[in-house]
Amino acid sequence: MTTQTNTNDDLLVCKQIVKSYNGPLVLDRVDFSVKRGEVHALVGENGAGKSTIIKVITGATNRNSGDMMFDGQVIPLNHSRNNAQDLGIGVIFQELSLIPGMTVAQNIFLTKEPFFPGTRFINHRLMNRNAQELIDRYQFPLKATDVIDKLSIAQRQLVEILKAMSMNAKLMIMDEPTSSLTKTEVAMLFEIIRKLKSDGISVLYISHRMEEIYALADRVTVLRDGKLVAVLEKEQISPAEIIRLMIGHKLEENALSHKLEPKDGEVVLEVKDLTSVGKFEKVSFKLHEGEILGLGGLVGSGRTEVVRAIYGIDPIDEGSITYLGKPYKPSVLRSIKSGIGFIPEERRLQGILATLSITHNIGITNLDRLAPKFVLNLKKEGEFSREGIKLVNVKPPVPEQLVGNLSGGNQQKVVLAKWLIRNLKLVIIDEPTVGIDIGAKDEIYTHIKNLASQGVSILLVSSDLPELTRLSDRIIVLRKGRVFTEFKDCVVTSEKILRAASGILEEA
Amino acid sequence: MSSQAVRRLILIGLMIAIAGLITSINPVFLTLGNLQKLFQEAAQVGIIAVGFTLVMITAGIDMSIGGIVAITAMVSINILSYTKIPVPVFVPLLLLVGAFVGFINGYLITKFKLPEFIVTLAVRSVLSGLALVIAVKDSLGFVQNVYIQNDQYLWFGTQTFGSIYRTTIAFVILGVATQLFIKNTRAGTNIYAAGANPVAAKLSGVNTERTVLGVYVFSGICASMAAIFISSRMMTAMPELGIGSEMDVIASVVIGGTPFTGGVGDIWGTMLGSLFLALIKNGILKTGISPWYQPIAIGGIIVVTVIVDVWQKKAHEKLTARAKLRKLDAEARKSAA
Amino acid sequence: MKKLKITNEIRLGMVLVGLMAVLSVISPRFLSLSNLSNVIWSICIIGILASGAIYPRITGGIDLSLGSMAALTGIIVDMFMNKMGVNWIPAILLTMVIGGLIGLFNGFIVAKIKVPAFVVTMAAKTYLYGVALVVSEGAMLAIMKPAPFISIGSDKLLGLPIPIYIMLTLVVISQFVLKRTSFGRQDLAVGPNEVAAKLSGVDPDRVRLISYTISGVTSAIGGVVLASLTRQTFAAAASGIELDVMTALVIGGTSAVGGRGSVVGALLGAIMVAFIVNGLNLLNVPAPYHPIVTGTVIILALLLNEGYLVPKKMTGGVKNQKQAAA
Repeated sequence: MTTQTNTNDDLLVCKQIVKSYNGPLVLDRVDFSVKRGEVHALVGENGAGKSTIIKVITGATNRNSGDMMFDGQVIPLNHSRNNAQDLGIGVIFQELSLIPGMTVAQNIFLTKEPFFPGTRFINHRLMNRNAQELIDRYQFPLKATDVIDKLSIAQRQLVEILKAMSMNAKLMIMDEPTSSLTKTEVAMLFEIIRKLKSDGISVLYISHRMEEIYALADRVTVLRDGKLVAVLEKEQISPAEIIRLMIGHKLEENALSHKLEPKDGEVVLEVKDLTSVGKFEKVSFKLHEGEILGLGGLVGSGRTEVVRAIYGIDPIDEGSITYLGKPYKPSVLRSIKSGIGFIPEERRLQGILATLSITHNIGITNLDRLAPKFVLNLKKEGEFSREGIKLVNVKPPVPEQLVGNLSGGNQQKVVLAKWLIRNLKLVIIDEPTVGIDIGAKDEIYTHIKNLASQGVSILLVSSDLPELTRLSDRIIVLRKGRVFTEFKDCVVTSEKILRAASGILEEA
Repeated sequence: MSSQAVRRLILIGLMIAIAGLITSINPVFLTLGNLQKLFQEAAQVGIIAVGFTLVMITAGIDMSIGGIVAITAMVSINILSYTKIPVPVFVPLLLLVGAFVGFINGYLITKFKLPEFIVTLAVRSVLSGLALVIAVKDSLGFVQNVYIQNDQYLWFGTQTFGSIYRTTIAFVILGVATQLFIKNTRAGTNIYAAGANPVAAKLSGVNTERTVLGVYVFSGICASMAAIFISSRMMTAMPELGIGSEMDVIASVVIGGTPFTGGVGDIWGTMLGSLFLALIKNGILKTGISPWYQPIAIGGIIVVTVIVDVWQKKAHEKLTARAKLRKLDAEARKSAA
Repeated sequence: MKKLKITNEIRLGMVLVGLMAVLSVISPRFLSLSNLSNVIWSICIIGILASGAIYPRITGGIDLSLGSMAALTGIIVDMFMNKMGVNWIPAILLTMVIGGLIGLFNGFIVAKIKVPAFVVTMAAKTYLYGVALVVSEGAMLAIMKPAPFISIGSDKLLGLPIPIYIMLTLVVISQFVLKRTSFGRQDLAVGPNEVAAKLSGVDPDRVRLISYTISGVTSAIGGVVLASLTRQTFAAAASGIELDVMTALVIGGTSAVGGRGSVVGALLGAIMVAFIVNGLNLLNVPAPYHPIVTGTVIILALLLNEGYLVPKKMTGGVKNQKQAAA
């Protein structure tokens, strides 16, 4: 499948790239190339190595070994961001890198502002004119003098593109650029990508959305577990084929053995027509006692938003929630008091108190039991801490250890523990194993399973498809903020879920 | 019209109204002599505020400015008392005092990532002590009130050019030059970038550390410059000179529309702000209101301004969010149709 | 690891003992009871203020208005007793309520309107000073009565001045609240990670409101004790004390982003600064050097808190709290 006949066509060539962050190989001898003037899609599941290879190309991190050539020039091992910029590699950052308060032109030309001849004074008029010329060349709906703050996300992305163009970028890297765009904005972006292509600029496009890849890409590189799986030519591209390659056979066999068996105990939680404008719409489902309900879908499909709303973090515009047979109006405190636990995604940002001890981290969700009358029962707190540590097997099992000094897996265990020692009826778990090593992963799965067998209902959000299929008793796939389909009573595979998340409906 | 322009028009309107009110109570307000003094007063605070504005644009704060004024004035008094170094030689060198202190501030803040506020407060403490230590003392060890008699030195603060004090002229020149600098040079643009979004600025190739360091150095230089004009005008200098002037400076900058959050602001606003503050202070004096109300006015103005700014920002965010929702709604309806 | 929290205070205590040893060698007068009690006496007000100011500090805020507040409440308590004829006990209680209300107002602007704490409290420092000027008519007033009020500052119990007992009581209560109550836990959780705290059921706004209120109340207590101690009130009575309080907190290891803090540590910090100043006095170092020392000590303590100046293994690998939290 890998055909590299004419090397002159290649803008970027990576050969046998190896990268590891002191541990397992994140990139294992990956070959990768981008031709001049093509839109090249890079796909793979979470953890397949997509973002690492981008980081290697843009100089955000350095490869351990392997050769890289860009536009005929060798990229040294000690590659850097500035170096990438100088070579003509532009990146449209997911977390936008623009300066608020400044105009479009100022942002495009930041640190490269044109001067009046013979002086060090910025020629604003020339700068605005240059920027406007650039804008007009691509017919972007922008004005050079617009202030960034007033622009939509889509428009800001355009500014990022222009910024890269102003540096004579030959390769434009776009990482999930459509995740927060509306339909019309996506169409506009596609138009622009095609225009860039016709100007001879290569675009490296990373996306989970198959329809986008199908619509745009000339070639597709598929990564899996840090290895190159395949490079597909235009005529070979089909969503189903890409999904098949992404998931691989090994995992499919594994997943095949998982048959969904919905539990039909008492309904613990019922959500009806839940709507939050701009986030999700008319989401309905039931959750039974002791059931693990998986919520699948792409990033941005509204999964996390739905569970946050149920827990009471974000407001709900319409719809109703019934919890334990009674109408429920969510608020964080009420949720905690009535036996709902919440294990958030991004544990560093939302889960742990890094500079406090394990004991304090476990104590903070249990203050109602530790200090019913203001004064803390330190003995009980210590017991809780030891109980929690034992329950999830935190290493090292030292209650006074600062959580920030634990490994990722153990941090997540602490977050689990602070809920597990409570009398829970429902636990919401969002991406429980991101950035956690295999061993700790398995332990966490065991805890989730045990919890369910004790009758606790679990709402599980995960982008890790094997994880979702392996743990869930029933799976709902969300797409664009709505329930797309439901899997129950059938054999489910990662592939099926990914197809559903990508909008491919099939007979169950 | 931008919200900034509206804000300034309101401020100017308010100043005219207040000036009218003061004049109606005490016509002396509108005499040349009083106005000269008012503008000089504004300039003395304003010169410090110019440097301070840049610090605030980087989302920092410099509580050491008062200490820098004090130490500079004391160095100056010592030179005047004990040496015969001619004024044109040593006065420019006095600016190095502020530059040096500013460098230390900036170094501690950028290199060790220490909290700006407490660091500069600590530096102020050191400087206030140093000022006392090096103050000119009599044989019993008491701080002496030295009267400056050097005409060349007095040239700065006691004389007018036309009918405007040199301090005022210096302030205007410094203000205009700084405004031009921050808006028309790369280094100036970097200051905004470093304050608005340091991560993005770094990604775009801005050396944020050097920018922040430079801003503290500049703030120090401005404070030293103010020390020269103030000591010259007072024809003497005590070791407490300038200590406590932080609030006046902060008030000027905040009234001028430079928020504590960084990335926004300019010198025009600060110049207006320092004039506004001087007007309030002069008004309290001229209308016979007890000067005890002065701190209440200054503190109150700061709180009210900052609260109004926060509210305005929130309202603006709400509006944009609503606009976004409308757009989504329209699109949904279109696709449904 | 069990003694991690304690070692911080023990370390301070050891430094303190070392400092005392050095000072007693340098000057034999240092270890005399009168000198030592003078030193402790001099930090009474700082200790009282610090026992409340630690709460906003730990949440990532700061209360800079406490000096002005102490001066103002001193004037108010005098006014209640000697102009309005209120009995001294209700007068003190009323004053504490007023302090709490001022703190609540600060807290409201910080927590609900989301204005940076240092701006709010610095402005408050300024206008409260103005209010104090207006209320006292700019005068320095002597307080001669009532006798029980005066005796708070002048009487001794078991050889030690009463303010020391007040301070120690507050420090103990405050340390207890911080370490052993649900509120203390919530206060500690807000600083390092507000989002995580919120998801765990902590209401950060409420915690902030209460924190600033506590600081207001202790400022009022400090103001009352100061008035009784000095038998006078004026608007600038406690000006600049906020820096001493912050110094004590910083040396005591209070870190906003770290969610760490100890009132006992702050007290030890205050004593340390007082010893240093006392040592300078005994060595006949002139007073102007004192703020120089204080300022330098703050910067050194900050560097130490952030993990500089110490071997890496002592910080558990966390180099910079700001970076660790990020």
